[in-house]
Amino acid sequence: MKMTESQDIEQATTAIAAQPDNKTRRYDRQLRLWAASGQAALESSRVLVLSASATSTSILKNLVLPGIGHFTLVDSTLVSPADAGNNFFLNGRDSIGKSRAQEAVPLLRELNESVQGEAVVSDVKELLSSDSGREWITGFSLVIAHNLAKPVVDDLAALLWDDLANPPLIVVNSAGFLAEFFISISRALWYAASPHTDAIPTLRITRPFPALLQWARDLDLENMDPTTHAHIPFVIILVRAVDLWRREHNGALPTTMAEKRAFKESVLAMKIKPDEENFDEAEQQAWRVWSEPAVPSEISALFSLPELQQPSTSSDTNALPNPTFHALLRTLSAYVRLQRVYREQAAAEKTLFKELLAQVYPELAQKIDPDEVDTFVKNSHHVRVLRGRPWRAWDKERDVVVSSLSATPRESATHLALSALSTLLAQSSDISEITVDSLKKEVQSFVGPDVELPEEVDTAIGELARAPTADLPNMAAFLGGMVAQEAIKMITQQYVPVCGYCVLDLVDSWTGIVG
Amino acid sequence: MTNGNASSGDWEGRYFHVDQILDRPGPRTDPSFLAGEEVKDFLRNKCKILVIGAGGLGCEILANLALSGFKDIHVIDMDTIDISNLNRQFLFRQKDVGQPKAIVAAEFIMNRIPGVKVTPYYGKIQDKDDDYYMQFNLVICGLDSVEARRWINATLVNLVDPENPESLKPLIDGGTEGFKGQARVILPTVTSCYECSLDMLNKPTAFPICTIANTPRLPEHCIEWASVLEWPRVHGDQKLDTDDPEHIGWLYSIASARAKEFKIEGVSWSLTQGVVKNIIPAIASTNAIIAASCCNEAFKIATSSAAYLNNYFMLIGTDGVYSYTFEHERREDCPVCGGEALDVSIGKEWTVERLIEMLVEKQDIQIKKPSLSSGAKHIYFQAPPQLEEATRPNLEKMVSELVPDGGEITVTASSLPFSLSLRVKYV
Ligand SMILES: [Zn+2]
Repeated sequence: MKMTESQDIEQATTAIAAQPDNKTRRYDRQLRLWAASGQAALESSRVLVLSASATSTSILKNLVLPGIGHFTLVDSTLVSPADAGNNFFLNGRDSIGKSRAQEAVPLLRELNESVQGEAVVSDVKELLSSDSGREWITGFSLVIAHNLAKPVVDDLAALLWDDLANPPLIVVNSAGFLAEFFISISRALWYAASPHTDAIPTLRITRPFPALLQWARDLDLENMDPTTHAHIPFVIILVRAVDLWRREHNGALPTTMAEKRAFKESVLAMKIKPDEENFDEAEQQAWRVWSEPAVPSEISALFSLPELQQPSTSSDTNALPNPTFHALLRTLSAYVRLQRVYREQAAAEKTLFKELLAQVYPELAQKIDPDEVDTFVKNSHHVRVLRGRPWRAWDKERDVVVSSLSATPRESATHLALSALSTLLAQSSDISEITVDSLKKEVQSFVGPDVELPEEVDTAIGELARAPTADLPNMAAFLGGMVAQEAIKMITQQYVPVCGYCVLDLVDSWTGIVG
Repeated sequence: MTNGNASSGDWEGRYFHVDQILDRPGPRTDPSFLAGEEVKDFLRNKCKILVIGAGGLGCEILANLALSGFKDIHVIDMDTIDISNLNRQFLFRQKDVGQPKAIVAAEFIMNRIPGVKVTPYYGKIQDKDDDYYMQFNLVICGLDSVEARRWINATLVNLVDPENPESLKPLIDGGTEGFKGQARVILPTVTSCYECSLDMLNKPTAFPICTIANTPRLPEHCIEWASVLEWPRVHGDQKLDTDDPEHIGWLYSIASARAKEFKIEGVSWSLTQGVVKNIIPAIASTNAIIAASCCNEAFKIATSSAAYLNNYFMLIGTDGVYSYTFEHERREDCPVCGGEALDVSIGKEWTVERLIEMLVEKQDIQIKKPSLSSGAKHIYFQAPPQLEEATRPNLEKMVSELVPDGGEITVTASSLPFSLSLRVKYV
């Protein structure tokens, strides 16, 4: 007893020293989502935000708080009475007449001392007109633009699309209760769809690798001592039961209810004592056997990506690499063995993956960071590839737009109405020219004179004509959250960013995707 | 164009953006909308709104309401500021750690947005009576506690007097977890209420005690072993304080040692804290989305400038952006807003104790420490101690000895301001 107590004291003292530092404590609630790797990616990011609107500062707020490395806010205008009324990151009427960017930056920076930020009082159009300005813009890790004039956005999007090394662009447009944003990303990036989950995707029970199958086949159930028998891991019991079942059923798995019941009974029949929990567990886990561990459809789709060259050899099990899985296992000796078997298999498959990589993409294999290969293999069950499209490419395919207008009228109409609004705003600075009629004419000319517009177009247009230049505080905050969330996913390469135009309607409170 | 009011602090053009909405209707605006000065006057000079919670959602809600033109805002929160709040609760700074959230948040808003009055209350929602809640036009809730939500929901449902339309206080409720969240509009006694949807909550994971004691295989099992079994064994009556870093440190060291013994990886300080405090991941962006949605609904309800949410919006941002807007249906047998007793079928041989266990477990009831009575007959009472002692022998008795088939049992709990009627059937 004395021993235990003194040990406890010693352990307790070392543990107090192990309490996380202030930074870890500050970021605790987000580290649970994207871990230290995601945090490091955020901290090395440099984000450029164009225009210091209420929406832009809301987006930045949600990036400064979790701790991006650096932000630059570009705006050439002065704070108007209207800005002072709807932008939280201004000092009310005291800011009126001063630079929007310069007034906002200190109030954003005070949210998080570890984030650097600067204001640049420049016009985006002018920046884009000089080579040095264009080069400067491409030096960031992400560019976000809110309600920029249409020709400026088009120019900016073309610039960033031009080179795979350029940063992605998020285009954000909003008016009143309606808004949309679009991620323009020229290179394909991979993402881990559900990182940091403990879920074990597959145990390879129905497609065991040799070491697993051999173990299951070698079990001498009759002559085994009762303790060992009661500690056979359920995975091995199931592998054995599947093996026997397949021999008797022409290689098929149990499919009908009756077969499934019979399979479960065959598992329980292996018991030598009624209270052997490992066999009960195997029976409970029998559902893992009902289907082959198919490669998820999102993943198999990746194999047909045009950039991919088909490897000349392939693994015979046709299953994804096994993430090392330590968690599920009991620590009795059989489980330690099982853990080792899976680990060795995972290591072998990682080696195979690296060999294939070197064989098929020799140049890439030399350049790539080994840690990245490890992370990729570990997340192979959750990999997604995001392939961007150029800004407005979808809109140019008129047939597609027209059919989308009848398939998803609400989302398509809102997108078209917002596009029409940007076109009109770029043509004239006279807001009174933005009417239901002028917007409708613009949409009609966009899709063609023969296309009958659904009533959703009238609904969207009516809302925009009501408030064509309103950057509503609630919409700004909503978009601020949505766009920041996508930015975080892109920067951390964890979770999956949205593809297409993400359209929002805060009258009926819905979001949707089009394009 | 005028501002529609004479509040001090306003300036010409202050509400240029919001006024575009308030000066004219949109295609989906209800004809009862009074565009122009009248609605602005109500919003800026008359409307009184209560915000419950000044945390992740609350900070955002206060800022949005103030910018939207609400001028008389009250906020209740019983918590003080912790360093782990600073990654999202953007009205707080390092120097504010330890201060009451409601007070710091109210001061910040009043400093930043002139002319807005925010009245804080540092305490519990349960401290306030019906008269207090009666003074508001709207209530917005940004809470992380199920119990507090059930309390305010039941309180606002009970407040409804059919003779007095003013007594119906719309309740807007938001909640987030990681990249996911939901916002909903509850019109007490009209739409589905919080209690109606209780079965939508995720059940917390509970690990079987035998696994924890004998065959741990997850880092969580080691942590549960340290907190559930080792802490009381070593510390006796001393209560585990999950906010005390020394206590967490002790658990961490014990859990680590056990993990080492069983060759389990993954026990960390942060996981230890997460398991014992049941910490939910939280980020600024998701809170911003959900709080904005709540405030947008409050703005639409207060001004009638557009239709409001009917009645549930949920968002999942992990894989692309997925959202779902739907009408959650009322439950006829909702113990708070429905009129009917809840039917439960139990075995004839069930003891009172077993029935109590079932009530605690059941996803659509979730009552901690229920007390039971039938008519004037006490079946089992958790408090006061004399009554508990007097009714304790009943725990062993069969329910069917005490209540006839088809009879009703009234269930109460101190944490909930309502009682639940069960109609028992024996099978
Ligand atoms: Zn209800």
